[in-house]
Amino acid sequence: MTEEVDGRRPTEARTGPSATSNLAALWEREGGGRVRSRSFGGCGRHPGTWGRRAEARLGALLGRAAAMLKCGMSGSQVKVFGKAIQALSRVSDELWLDPSEKGLALRSVNSCRSAYGCVLFSPVFFQHYQWSTSVKMNDNDSTSSNLNCKLGMKSILPIFRCLNSLERNVEKCKIFTRSDKCKVVIEFFCRHGIRRTHNVCFQESQPLQVIFEKNMCSNTLVIQPRVLAEAIVLFTSSQEEVTLAVTPLSVCLKSSSDEPVDLTSSVYSEMFVGPDEFDFFQIGVDSEITFCFKELKGILTFSEATHAPIAIHFDFPGKPMALSIDDMLLEANFILATLADEPSRASSPQSLCLSQKQKRSEPLSSNSEAGKNVTSKAPECILRKVAPKRLYPKETLTDVSALENCGSPIMKRANGDRSEVSESSVSDTEEVPGPPYLRKFSCMFFGAVSSDQQERFNHPFDSLATASDSEEDMNDGSFSTF
Amino acid sequence: MKFRAKIVDTACLNHFTRVSNMIAKLAKTCTLRISPDKLNFILSDKVANGGVSMWCELEQENFFSEFQMEGVSAENNEIYLELTSENLSRALKTAQNARALKIKLTNKHFPCLTVSIELLSVSNSSRVVTHDIPIRVIPRKLWKDLQEPTVPDADVSIYLPVLKTMKSIVEKMKNISNHLIIEANLNGELNLKIETELVCVTTHFKDLGNPPSASEDVSQDRNPEQMAEVRIDIRRLLQFLAGQQVNPTKAVCNIVSNKIVHFDLLHEDVSLQYFIPAFS
Repeated sequence: MTEEVDGRRPTEARTGPSATSNLAALWEREGGGRVRSRSFGGCGRHPGTWGRRAEARLGALLGRAAAMLKCGMSGSQVKVFGKAIQALSRVSDELWLDPSEKGLALRSVNSCRSAYGCVLFSPVFFQHYQWSTSVKMNDNDSTSSNLNCKLGMKSILPIFRCLNSLERNVEKCKIFTRSDKCKVVIEFFCRHGIRRTHNVCFQESQPLQVIFEKNMCSNTLVIQPRVLAEAIVLFTSSQEEVTLAVTPLSVCLKSSSDEPVDLTSSVYSEMFVGPDEFDFFQIGVDSEITFCFKELKGILTFSEATHAPIAIHFDFPGKPMALSIDDMLLEANFILATLADEPSRASSPQSLCLSQKQKRSEPLSSNSEAGKNVTSKAPECILRKVAPKRLYPKETLTDVSALENCGSPIMKRANGDRSEVSESSVSDTEEVPGPPYLRKFSCMFFGAVSSDQQERFNHPFDSLATASDSEEDMNDGSFSTF
Repeated sequence: MKFRAKIVDTACLNHFTRVSNMIAKLAKTCTLRISPDKLNFILSDKVANGGVSMWCELEQENFFSEFQMEGVSAENNEIYLELTSENLSRALKTAQNARALKIKLTNKHFPCLTVSIELLSVSNSSRVVTHDIPIRVIPRKLWKDLQEPTVPDADVSIYLPVLKTMKSIVEKMKNISNHLIIEANLNGELNLKIETELVCVTTHFKDLGNPPSASEDVSQDRNPEQMAEVRIDIRRLLQFLAGQQVNPTKAVCNIVSNKIVHFDLLHEDVSLQYFIPAFS
């Protein structure tokens, strides 16, 4: 995988005392941070380093450099890409394009923060993939930030409509954007020499991401999409929520509608699936979780396109669940909130922690570090009681925008008939069975973690010392950051 | 009150599903009458329906391998249930390739018709799907409104043309006018007419044939060329035609001048009667 830095900072990544001093020297001379590079072993091996250094110094003088994404794919890859966008459109109306060394991540969060979707396309998925962060100079500091690109679904979804015809006609698709250009350019090179270009304006916004240890869930099911698709047919579109009940012997998917009161109530349906229909079946805890149907349908159609089985990770009601697809070329994760069965108290202790991605201050700071920093601020991830039983955006929360800007937990008021906003924290689950009509549901709270860049800048050498180039060090394994 | 029935034959199951789809298109809410040898789907002529009524009858023997019922009482060995037709058709939709289908009357918090489907999955294990369709039991005092309608003495009886053709014509006509005149004579001619201030459109069907009439007198007195006509709401006619997915084995239209039009269809062994009153 190559990473084109496009005339920015010189790219060097080495450990060792000599390297450090070299870099330190560079730091003082140029007084700025640098863009992280992945594949270059050392100084001089990167073609055109010296020339680029000169350019970089010029850039330094100018005080800024833009984050960039450039990638290309073939017709069949466009279909998968388009399917990912369609699946994410079921989560929300906004999409983040988030390139990193791991690949291009498409992220989406719904307005009431009860669903999060992320599809990460690894660099090998694309025919070519280049990206860079931006570096901005402020006096002696420099901040490096990613491409913070948020697109409206309404703009991008129509471009990836009619995927079958796109697959047939498109020979190549190129996506290019720069943070200073405020638009994403999507070009389709079609048959017969036709070239179609779309310019989509984006909004600058830091993507939210979820920290959820799906591998730590006690229940894991892996199923072929076809089986789930058969189950989905059972439920009418008017039923928004579906319940998954598991025991070590059986799995039951059923509608979670209220008990019928008259003819017009919806039909209650249930379907039992035997353990042998799953590719992987591990149930540690008998559990019944209720979640929104819409997102399940979204990931199902996506999984049918990628022909990969869907893994469902979950625990007990109230704790978020993960639906994921893991393929060689891509990784999709949909984290959904589940209905908590509690009458009046805050339930599950483990909520979904979301953080804004750390601004990359140092070229060599690793993701694992970012992950660590975020998790240490776990208290900020707060379970907020949202009174309305449903998971829909239309029913709840106000002040969502405030979330993204605050560094500290926010009180959210829920609109609804039975609003009961409980104060902060994370408390232990109490198994208090309550009357069904008082079932509340816990919303995943997206904590905006304040970036502690200042702290990092004071100790540039610390981060240099722990940094590394290799992929293994990116995730130290304890937390999966999606 | 008890009801339990089972279908094991795929062809019967598909036929039953088709009937249920047809009913779902014809009536949003309907009455299901269960008697020892028949099942009826009934829509009574209320103002809310626009005066339209429907009577669909099927012999339970032709569908169910097992059929047990116990009515309200010994003298009134029948069960009348009200349900939302779409619920039943959607539940049956999942029974496409089922091994067996069971229907029974249950009372889980609320009276339901429970449809239980045993599917055979690819890995050869059985999967069981259950649907609980909420219903309302209709009390005996209301049964009198739900009896088989008397077939009126028609002025003209005629065989209908291919229903799909009729449907596409009526669909286009709907854009022009709200009322349609349906007229026919004993010469096998049927006309569909719409009239507005600006335009009149008539579609003529010829050589349709007339079924032999029951009463000799009427047919002999009547001039074969003379048309009997009824002016009806076009949307009711369209709703009726839209419900016919498959062309019926037999389709007869009986017209009582300026009063009512009566459609009598036979889909294999299921009979359907549909009444559309004249627009007043």
